[in-house]
Amino acid sequence: MKGRDTKPDDLKASIEAVEPRPGYTDEKTGKKTPGELELVVRMKNDADRALHYISDVRATRYDPNTKILTVALSDEGREVIPGAIMKLPVFRRIDPGSTAEIHITVPDRIIKLSRNAPPGEIAFETHPLSEAREVVVEIAWAEVPYYKDTRGKDDNRLPAARWEQHKARSTKPMRGGGRTPKK
Amino acid sequence: MALFILEDAAGIGNDQIDTFQAFIDCVIIANDDGVGLNDPAGGRQQVTYARTENGPPQLRLDALVNTTFTPDYGSGPQQVDTVVIPGLAGFTLDDGTDFRHNGTALAPNSSGLAGASLNTTEFCLVIYDTQQNICVARQGSGDIDLPISNPVVLYHEFSHAFRIVNNGLLALTGECDPSSPEENAAITDENDLRTQIANRQGETPALRDPGIHCGAVGCDGGCCIIATVASKSLNSKQIQFLRSVRDHFVRSTEVGYAFFQKFFYDYYSFSPQVCTIMVGNPEIPGHLLEGYINPLLDFWKVMIERSGNNFSDAELGAAFVRHHPDRAAAQSRLEALQSTVAYWMQEETEGNSAPAELLTLLRERAWPSEYMQWALVAPVRIYHDVLTRYLAGADEAAIGRAFNNELDTWAPEIPISDVWAALSAEEVVKELEFCENVLLQSPASKKRFHQRLLDRFADITSVDVVLNGLTANAGVVQ
Repeated sequence: MKGRDTKPDDLKASIEAVEPRPGYTDEKTGKKTPGELELVVRMKNDADRALHYISDVRATRYDPNTKILTVALSDEGREVIPGAIMKLPVFRRIDPGSTAEIHITVPDRIIKLSRNAPPGEIAFETHPLSEAREVVVEIAWAEVPYYKDTRGKDDNRLPAARWEQHKARSTKPMRGGGRTPKK
Repeated sequence: MALFILEDAAGIGNDQIDTFQAFIDCVIIANDDGVGLNDPAGGRQQVTYARTENGPPQLRLDALVNTTFTPDYGSGPQQVDTVVIPGLAGFTLDDGTDFRHNGTALAPNSSGLAGASLNTTEFCLVIYDTQQNICVARQGSGDIDLPISNPVVLYHEFSHAFRIVNNGLLALTGECDPSSPEENAAITDENDLRTQIANRQGETPALRDPGIHCGAVGCDGGCCIIATVASKSLNSKQIQFLRSVRDHFVRSTEVGYAFFQKFFYDYYSFSPQVCTIMVGNPEIPGHLLEGYINPLLDFWKVMIERSGNNFSDAELGAAFVRHHPDRAAAQSRLEALQSTVAYWMQEETEGNSAPAELLTLLRERAWPSEYMQWALVAPVRIYHDVLTRYLAGADEAAIGRAFNNELDTWAPEIPISDVWAALSAEEVVKELEFCENVLLQSPASKKRFHQRLLDRFADITSVDVVLNGLTANAGVVQ
């Protein structure tokens, strides 16, 4: 029997918690382990078929003007660049009518190259994510599992960006409320 | 002027960049003391290099350091220097990509080459994580199990950088298998350094497959630092056995893999320091090998034999005895266990603080971890108890009964990871089957483990469906 067509909002996501994990400095080696934010995301599949989704963080974006942190479990928008390795996403499946929960972490600050550096210099912008007013999680999903695309193609998107059909989104106000922490 | 390492920059502090590690990595690539660093200027330290060797890595480094590159990307020749940005935690590109466990080489903004729009400067930027733990494809098998060290990551990126500053970047694709022409070339270059480092150490080179650019986080190719140092080889029979248990017996499942992710996190918070302590205290490796690692291995050997066989008490006792055919050797093993405990517990003696330092480290970092307790401490305690009973003259049935009783208490207390909540019902069933086959063979231990899962994930559909289904069908969970 053919089931009903899947709708773009059939996979629902809900951010249940955002917890800071402080970093530390190893006294013996002097190495710093940076702090992290752990996000607990609950999902529900309202479709009558299993859905497949990405369960690890693929991109972290922060807009300092709106103070919105976007944690993307999706390769859409990421460029193909030279690099040591290409890591495929971690894919998971959620059964029809089921709930599931994933735990993901992101660094507790984002450092980006500044676009305002004087010519010939390198400068950065550091954004502690405790300043964020809101966190958005986007989870790429599809009705079918990820399979390697064996066709010859000139599409230069990352493979998982070609695979995804929809995104589940959830938004949650951050506990810090956009305040800058005291130095 | 050509190659620099970032030392400081506006917007970050100079304590946030691992300049020293990048310098060390350059020294390892050069393999001589001809590499130097000029004093900082403009937040960067220029790399200097008076080459004495003629291998491909040395020639490549020489070119990057001692050539003024003036590529023409379409608007006339321009000087392009390369700047290395090592170990900047939290560094993220505009498209959201971060560099935890990775590296890249970005072409100058105006070049129009791949990745150039993400570079806000006119430098070629080489960015890499100096605390990476990644695995790449091994030549020959294609298995993603080959570690990649910091110097090799840096040299891979130098390969890209060399073609960027010569305006010779090859085609890049989104696929990692087969790898793009650009990545194939970088991996081929990377293998030059792998070969040279292996030759320096008198080892057979383990090379990366240029045709596969895919990789994964969490390689841990050393498997077990303590065991590696204690048994003095990455390929000792102890290490091969531990690696085999890890990769084929436990980590092949979702739950087993998640277990090891947490286990590694805790384990590597203290084990490198144990190695440091061992270097200055040569008596420790012997104590560890005979009084800890070999007993742990013997415990797991019996457990592997037990898995899937659902041994009776007598059969389990017979298996234990079979693994200890030589009573004198078994007696020596028991004495080594007791001697190691006594060694670790001894008071700090003048001129030798090693055991106390080791104990403090273990007390602070290892013992509080439920993963260490369950996987590394309790098995050796159980083994000690069973071995004592065996040497006291107990028969096979009595040995097996004691062993099974201890396993029934220990096994269901395995730390439960969050991954259970992300599994489908079918996967929960599959993972449970594996756990029950390998660890939870008695009804009592199954019942205890099911209850712990239900307590933890009461509102997760798949767990609820599977375990309440089991309750209805088998009356396992009360």
